[in-house]
Order: sequence, then structure tokens, then C-alpha cells
Amino acid sequence: MSLRQYLRIWLACVRYSLVRTMMFRFDFFLWSAVELAWMSVNVLLVEVIYRHTDNVAGWSKYEMMLLVGTSMLIQRLLMGFFWSNLFEMGRNVRTGYFDFYLAQPGNPLFMVSTRKLDPDGLANTFVAAGVVYYSAHRLGLHPGVTGVLLYLALVACGLVIHYSLFLLTTSTTFWIIKTEGIEGSYFTVVDFSRLPREAFRGFASVFLVYLLPAVVVSNVPAHALIHGFQPAYALWLFGVSLAWFALAVFVFHLGLKRYASASS
Amino acid sequence: MNALTKYRHVFLVGLQSNLVYRWNFLIRGFFSLARLAVVFILWGAAYAGLTQIGGYSIGQTFTYFTALIALQFMVGAFNEDYQIGEEIRNGLINQFLLKPINYYLYRFTVFLSARAVSGVLVFVPLLVIYPLIRHQLAFPGDAWRLLLGAPALVLAALLQFTLAFCFGLLAFWFLEIQGFVILSYAAETLLSGQIFPLDLLPPALFKAAQFLPFYYMMYFPAALVTGRINDPVAAVQGLAVQVVWVGLFLLIARFIWLTGLRKHTAVGG
Repeated sequence: MSLRQYLRIWLACVRYSLVRTMMFRFDFFLWSAVELAWMSVNVLLVEVIYRHTDNVAGWSKYEMMLLVGTSMLIQRLLMGFFWSNLFEMGRNVRTGYFDFYLAQPGNPLFMVSTRKLDPDGLANTFVAAGVVYYSAHRLGLHPGVTGVLLYLALVACGLVIHYSLFLLTTSTTFWIIKTEGIEGSYFTVVDFSRLPREAFRGFASVFLVYLLPAVVVSNVPAHALIHGFQPAYALWLFGVSLAWFALAVFVFHLGLKRYASASS
Repeated sequence: MNALTKYRHVFLVGLQSNLVYRWNFLIRGFFSLARLAVVFILWGAAYAGLTQIGGYSIGQTFTYFTALIALQFMVGAFNEDYQIGEEIRNGLINQFLLKPINYYLYRFTVFLSARAVSGVLVFVPLLVIYPLIRHQLAFPGDAWRLLLGAPALVLAALLQFTLAFCFGLLAFWFLEIQGFVILSYAAETLLSGQIFPLDLLPPALFKAAQFLPFYYMMYFPAALVTGRINDPVAAVQGLAVQVVWVGLFLLIARFIWLTGLRKHTAVGG
């Protein structure tokens, strides 16, 4: 299939998701409120900590807010575009409904990942972007068009990392059938992405900053916006996102080979 | 069969069925350690160069967050709301309506058995990391704290469970209650002091939080046993307020139950 055909399939999925959302309007508002509430909790935490101190690991209040906003932005993008697709993949592998995706003429990973869009998650990307914008404004930052585009490119790398981590998590279903609650491990990693890299010491630094992409994912884009673009950092993030994406795709295909359908 | 024997059996059966989920509880416990790591890293960095934040040392703050994890597994409502909602949705609840059993007491007994299992298992991950964090912790040794802390924990469990019970009963009216549950969970997590100790809020907001029931669901018992509440008189007053909230919650639960039953059409079963 050509790229054009994939785009058409994706657009059809988008249309289907929007129609569905308009059918269940109350659900849309309720789930938007849920995500908004959790985001507010994180912003409040920053607010409370900085009532008692001026800097955390060298980050001022609004720098920290910008970091938290960036982390939320990446997470909302994952929620909006991929979360329920990958989440349901786990369930479908268990029930055998996954056959349906394999029977389609496109790339199975593409088909699995893009079936649905969650407008509530996407609506909250604007709130997260608002937090980033407000923090940048309070810091007196004027990144210009190039700065903003570079920041967005780094956020996109972050999205690739989050996607890969979550795909790796749900792909375990191919081996261990009973994986309800496994998505908890993804959230655990995300929790670390709201912390400044400089706060990590010793083993935590080696493990969470260098081995797992938990911290770089948000720190590199936020750092670029605050202190200006540094090619070395950007290359680091780009390399990490490429490596984790390759690993996730590899594991997914390995799992695919094991998949033997289920039920009758 | 007298009432006590009846619910004792429910407790024993509940204990057995929850022991099946022991690995689940254990894994959850180990995930909590990661959350504890986030807390230690964040607050460790916030304390750099400071001896106190909000009048408390770094040790006291670490102790507070460590105790929270234990308390969550001992008195927290996990997915009781979801279970109750499911029983209403798929009609399993009908069998209880026909038997001489009080549904609230039945669910509360099952909740107690679940917390007995998770409350013991949480100490496995905590003991594993204890050698690492031992020097960071500062538990106060006063006997009165334990004396008042024990009833505070029981009352907190009652509050947490009854709130979850009320949310579960919403299934009489709504097909899908997960949204409500997670929304209330966000409010509860924040206002019960699980994101940060409530005493770090501006004084007016801290005062306001004390007028809400969430304060008594986690912050109050945690602050009591970890030394953030230092006046025994204030602690006894807190217990009294907890009792009032429990009474109020029970009334609300009873009201929702009776109203909901009238809507109930007993599908499935």
C-alpha cells in the first residue's frame, strides 16, 4: 500500500472517532475533566513546592512548570493518538480478536496503532500547551519560529519514545497472557519525566536518565526552550527515540510470530 | 445463623479469594516503590540547602510519604467502586437482595478481607527497601500516637470504603461509572494529602481542606502517626470529626441505596 492509501485509512479512522465522540458527548466532557483534574494536580504540586523553596535542582518555578507542561504535552499526545489503540491490542491478543487486524491488507502495527483517536486526550494537549506557553511567557522567553519548531520536533521525538515504551509494555501480552494492570509500568516511567535531570544522582541517574528514556524525554525539549537549542542534546534524544522505536517494533514482530490466535 | 457467624464466613471466603491475587498486590506494592523513588528524588532536590520545609525536616517528609504507601494498602479503597458497579450492571447483586444479608455489610466485610491481605503484603516491598531508606526515616515513638492512630485508621477505612460504595451505587443510574470514579479519585488523592502533605498549603487552604471529608481519609491518620500532628487534644478532636463524617457518609450511602433500588430493574442475574 502506498503512503497515500495509509493516509486515507487514517483519515477515515479520524472521521469515525469524531462521529463517535459526537454521539457520546457527555463521555467526552467527563473524560476531558478527568485528564484536566490530573494535570491540575501536577501543576499544584509545583505551586506548593515552590512556596517553600526557590529552586529544585537548579530549576526555578516556571522552568519547572515548563518541564511539567512538556511532560504532560507528550503524554496527552500519546493519549490522544495511540493510548486506547495499544491498550486494546493487549485485550485483543488475549481474546483472539487480534485476528481481525492481521486480516487487513495493511501493516499490522499501523492498523493496530491508528484505529481510534481520543479527542478528550487531544483537547487536553491544548491545556498542556497552555501551561508551556504561560511558563515561557513568565520566563520572558522569545524562542521565535525556529525555536518553537525545534521544540515541537523534540516533543515529537518524545512522543515516539512514549509510544515505543507503551508498545513494549503491551507487547508482553504475546508472551504473558494475563497482563491486566501492566500499563501501570508505563505510568511509573512517566512519573519520572516530570523531574529535572539534575535531581537524579548515582544509580538513579544511570538507570533512569541513561538506560531508560524516562527523563530525557521531557528534559531535552524543555531545556531547549529555556536555554536554547543544543545539537548534542537533540541528537541524544533523536538517537534514543530511534533506538527505542526500533526495539519496540522488533519486539512487536517477535510477538506477532508467537501469536497463535485464541478462543474458538 | 447469627449475624457474626454469617459475616465471619464472608470474611474467610473473601480472604481466600484475595489470596489468589497475592501476586497482583505484591506487584502493585513494588510499583509503589517507584512512586516513592519519585517522591524521594523530587523532595530530596527541593530540600537541598534547606533544613526544613513547612517546619518539617527531610526525614519527617520522607517518613510521611513512606507511611502513606503502607496506609494505602491497609485502609485504601482500590477498586471496590468498580466491583459494586459491575455487580449492579450484570445483575449479580440480585442474589443478595433475596437473601437475609445486608449488602453494605457484606461488601465491607469483603473489603476488610482484601485489606487484610494487601495490608500485610505491602510490608514485603517496604522491608526490601528498608535497609536503603532506614536512615532517612524519622518515626516519632509516642505511645499516644498509636493509641489514637489505630481508631483513626479504622475510621479512615470506613470513610474510604463508604465513599467507594456510594460511587459504585451510581451504576443504578449510569451504565459506565469509571469516569466518575477516576475524577473523584483525582480530587481525593489531592485533598487527602497523597500528592503533598496538606500542611504545606497556604494556611487558609489548609484550613479549608480540614472541612472536607478527604482530609480524614488519609492525611489525618498519616499525619498522626508520622508526627505532623503533635497535639493529642487536636488528635482527639480530629477523631470526633472523623466519626461525624462516617455517620454522614453512612446516611448518604443508605439514601442512595434505597433510591437506587427503586430504579433497579434486576437485569441478568
